[in-house]
Amino acid sequence: MRDASHHPSPSHPPPAHGVGRRTLFTAALTTAAVTAAGCGAYDPLAGERTRLRQWNLFGGGDGLRMLQMHEEYQAEHPDIDFRATTFEWGAPFYTKVAMGAAGGRGADIATVHVSRLESLAPGRLLDPIDPAALAEAGIDETMFLPNIWEECFFEGQLYAIPLDTHLLVQFYNLDVCREVGLLDSNDRLVPLDGRETYVDALREIKAATGGFGLSLDTWGPWSNFWALYRQQDGELVFGEDDFELDEDKALAAMDFLYRLSEEGLSPRVSQGADTSANLANGQSGLMIHGNWEMTTLDATDVSFSVTQFPNIFGNHRTRGDSHCYVFPHQRDRDPERTRAALDYAAWMLRHSLSWSEGAGHIPAYLPVAESEEYDRLHPQSEYREAAENVQFEPDAWFSGSAGRLQDDATGPITALHQGTQTPEEALEQLKRTFRTMINAPAPV
Amino acid sequence: MSERTHTPRAKGAGAAGSGLVDVRRKPATWTGLWYVLPFLAFYLLFLVWPSIVGLGYTFTDRSLAGGDVSFIGFDNWNETLTDPGLYESLWNTLVFTVLSVPVMVLLALGLALLTDHARRLGWFLRLSFFAPFVLPVAVMALMWEWMYNPSLGLFNGILGQLGFEGSEWLFSENTAMVSVVIATAWWQVGFNYLLYLAAMQSIPKDVYEAAAIDGAGVWQRIGRITLPLLARTTVLITVLQLIGSLRVFEQIYLMTGGGPNFATRTVIQYIYDSGFVGLRIGFASSMAYVFMVLIIIASVAQFRLFSRKEA
Amino acid sequence: MATTTDRPAPTVAAERRGAARRGPRPNVGRIALYTVALLAALLWLLPLLWSFATSIKPEGETTVTPPTWFTANPTFDAYAQVLGRGDLIRWTFNSLVTTSIVTVLTLIVCVLAAYGFSRFDFRGRPWLFALIIGGILIPPQTLIVPQFILMTQLGLVDTYWGIALPQVVAPVFVFILKRFFDAIPRDYEDAAKIDGAGSVRILWNVMLPLSRPILTAVGIFTFIGAWNNFLWPFLVTTDPDTMTLPVGMGTVMGNYGIQYAQVMASAVLGALPLLIVFLLFQRHIVTGVAGAGIKG
Repeated sequence: MRDASHHPSPSHPPPAHGVGRRTLFTAALTTAAVTAAGCGAYDPLAGERTRLRQWNLFGGGDGLRMLQMHEEYQAEHPDIDFRATTFEWGAPFYTKVAMGAAGGRGADIATVHVSRLESLAPGRLLDPIDPAALAEAGIDETMFLPNIWEECFFEGQLYAIPLDTHLLVQFYNLDVCREVGLLDSNDRLVPLDGRETYVDALREIKAATGGFGLSLDTWGPWSNFWALYRQQDGELVFGEDDFELDEDKALAAMDFLYRLSEEGLSPRVSQGADTSANLANGQSGLMIHGNWEMTTLDATDVSFSVTQFPNIFGNHRTRGDSHCYVFPHQRDRDPERTRAALDYAAWMLRHSLSWSEGAGHIPAYLPVAESEEYDRLHPQSEYREAAENVQFEPDAWFSGSAGRLQDDATGPITALHQGTQTPEEALEQLKRTFRTMINAPAPV
Repeated sequence: MSERTHTPRAKGAGAAGSGLVDVRRKPATWTGLWYVLPFLAFYLLFLVWPSIVGLGYTFTDRSLAGGDVSFIGFDNWNETLTDPGLYESLWNTLVFTVLSVPVMVLLALGLALLTDHARRLGWFLRLSFFAPFVLPVAVMALMWEWMYNPSLGLFNGILGQLGFEGSEWLFSENTAMVSVVIATAWWQVGFNYLLYLAAMQSIPKDVYEAAAIDGAGVWQRIGRITLPLLARTTVLITVLQLIGSLRVFEQIYLMTGGGPNFATRTVIQYIYDSGFVGLRIGFASSMAYVFMVLIIIASVAQFRLFSRKEA
Repeated sequence: MATTTDRPAPTVAAERRGAARRGPRPNVGRIALYTVALLAALLWLLPLLWSFATSIKPEGETTVTPPTWFTANPTFDAYAQVLGRGDLIRWTFNSLVTTSIVTVLTLIVCVLAAYGFSRFDFRGRPWLFALIIGGILIPPQTLIVPQFILMTQLGLVDTYWGIALPQVVAPVFVFILKRFFDAIPRDYEDAAKIDGAGSVRILWNVMLPLSRPILTAVGIFTFIGAWNNFLWPFLVTTDPDTMTLPVGMGTVMGNYGIQYAQVMASAVLGALPLLIVFLLFQRHIVTGVAGAGIKG
């Protein structure tokens, strides 16, 4: 090696300081390896405290609020060695949950979407929750709306504890909308019902901002599509080997999204965080996004408010889901840690006013949802009635938030915004996607 | 294999060659095996065994979620070989390879030539061009995602100031793969660059001096001496780069997640998506085998080509 | 080596002085050359510089369009925030541990195997060697599914051993080391044998000292490779407590929202450990790559 190169002094020892450095470095490494190999993960705080590991997927605005709540929880529970981890929302998170559970070393408790329960193989990747133990923590079924509580069962067994309902809403930049004359005397957005009215308003906003009219997430646009499709009463049913889709209604929804970007009323490309940034820096006047983005906007200087998802096709229906707590499978579940996990969930439910206040989620826990404090929250109260407009996704092992349906359907709808596909082409791709999923053997 | 010059077998009895003189012949023949054994244990457990077990999985509907496993014959193989998703990801992998290999070879050559001529900046240039190579992929991905950000990123900011329309970079089907290739070139070119540089600097000086006496200019010297003498290195780099590019996964996964609209999903990611995201162990295994066979064929073909060049 | 010349080099320092004194006179071509070289180097450093520039901005200034290079109020607040979370430190520690295990074990088992193949004859040797060399062709990425299942069965998911052990299989190093050992003349060993040294002592006292450069190169490349390995650690760790640096940074979100200064601060911090290693071992790395290239 060395003798082949033309460097001088092939056999001279390297300068002394080099040896010292190297030796030191190697010694340090070896020491580290020897001390660490064999013992578990490095944990300076490990002691007599109960270890509690929580996983969640709140990387957006609500993540910041969750962080504050966790700090408060930790301060009140010094006997718990608590650590929460946020994974990238969507498939990366669910994959980690599944792989951790498959390895028998999942988190003690995780936050998932209730719509994804079926895809997480309850009973194998998820451990059941004992209602009696939950009652000991002070939580029982009378504290939830029946329709949400029912979602938490699989084959008669309880697997989830609901935390909230969340949905797509419409944000508006007060300064921009005032300038365009879209606010009433109470600084509320004037009704913009129907497709034409709405698009006209967007054109006016665009003329004023020089940017866009409406900021929306083009990177995960399936939810927008689903809301628009459901506003027209569109049905989507997945059978054993076929599906039912109303193509005209799907096309109408797609056409609407396609034109938004085509006309420059909405960006061609906008990811989650950029979407809010565009409203905050006045590039656009309106934004369709999840209620959780409230935190992101609160952290900026923009003055904004929130209202329901726009009425494009005759109503304010919107897509929604629920966050809930589950127990990923553990090979040897420690009863003490399980109890700590249940206590943690109960604590979070009792404090879910803060969750609503910060992230705009509608609490699932009735004592909070029916409280006066919740009534007084603004702008949360502006879209209270939206809860009854929430449209869940169709039943299937591949549906649900960040499920395969949402993932695979993203492509064609993103292509609409980018202008690389016409609505007709996107519809064809969407149908192919559905077919692929129906034909795929269910893995759970 | 080097030929065995008769090692006197009188030494090294038993497991670790105690150094005692031992005239028995049999045990001595096992000494070498004892040395090979630790590596062999790792090799069998972590490479050979999974290869065999994985082949078994391809005939089952095994799920990562557990549950009953049943034998389903060649269903997974049929599904794999007729899966448009697989061909799409094979195509993406090929596109990445075809785009990245020439860039990674030519860029390395250009940078090495620069360094070889601008001798006084040698250490600084080496540092600059090779430093990205040691960055963890997550760091590189974060940096480039930030620069590529369509509305807030540095690139579109600069383009905007120069009066150009910004690009969508990672967020458009048309530009995502190219963007990934650019970032990859920046990140990984340092290794090829060092290979070239070493080869250049091992070219004896007097060859150049002779040419200089003949009145050859800089470009002529590069064209007539440097490049021909680097042919072997070029072949080596190209082969290594091709094999490396075909196995691409991580930077694309982190930067685009395989999007937009699966335009950058590579085969390795498709295996991951099928097995770990989609929980289908059997299906993912058959896909992995198809890809493994393709890679081995490509590698063997290249090595044969390479050794023929050598001869 | 910064300079390579045909002159016998007295010392590097003297050489630098000489070069400075006897440097060719600048002309247009040279000025152009150095300008291009400098620009290229700066272009290469740009992503690193831009990350750093972003990381010392106050959070409010990172999203300003068009982007600006300099802030009037530089702050290291983002670094404090990122380090305060503790994740990066933990992941760096995990990387250090697993990478050390991989490097030490790889060196040990590959050296032993290469020595065994190079200096001993035993039954099945050519066949075994062919089997191991054949392993170079198998892309480890295609074995992720059965390897992960194996780890769940062994109970090694989310453990240091689970991360490290499968990475030890590096048949290519056995091949390289064996070739190197083959090239070492046997006279040394014969001398030692006459003194009555056994094979272990010959390995320790004769072979290893002679192979220091290649062992250093293999060690460094194993280290860099293991440190930056993403796919396997990414699969086999789900618990953030056991993740390595590249995996943790790539999978765990820091609740940054649109706090780009913090994202970039974590990128800069994540880049530091190996950049430091690189600066310390620059010469070894360069000669290591060079040697690999020349030996082909």
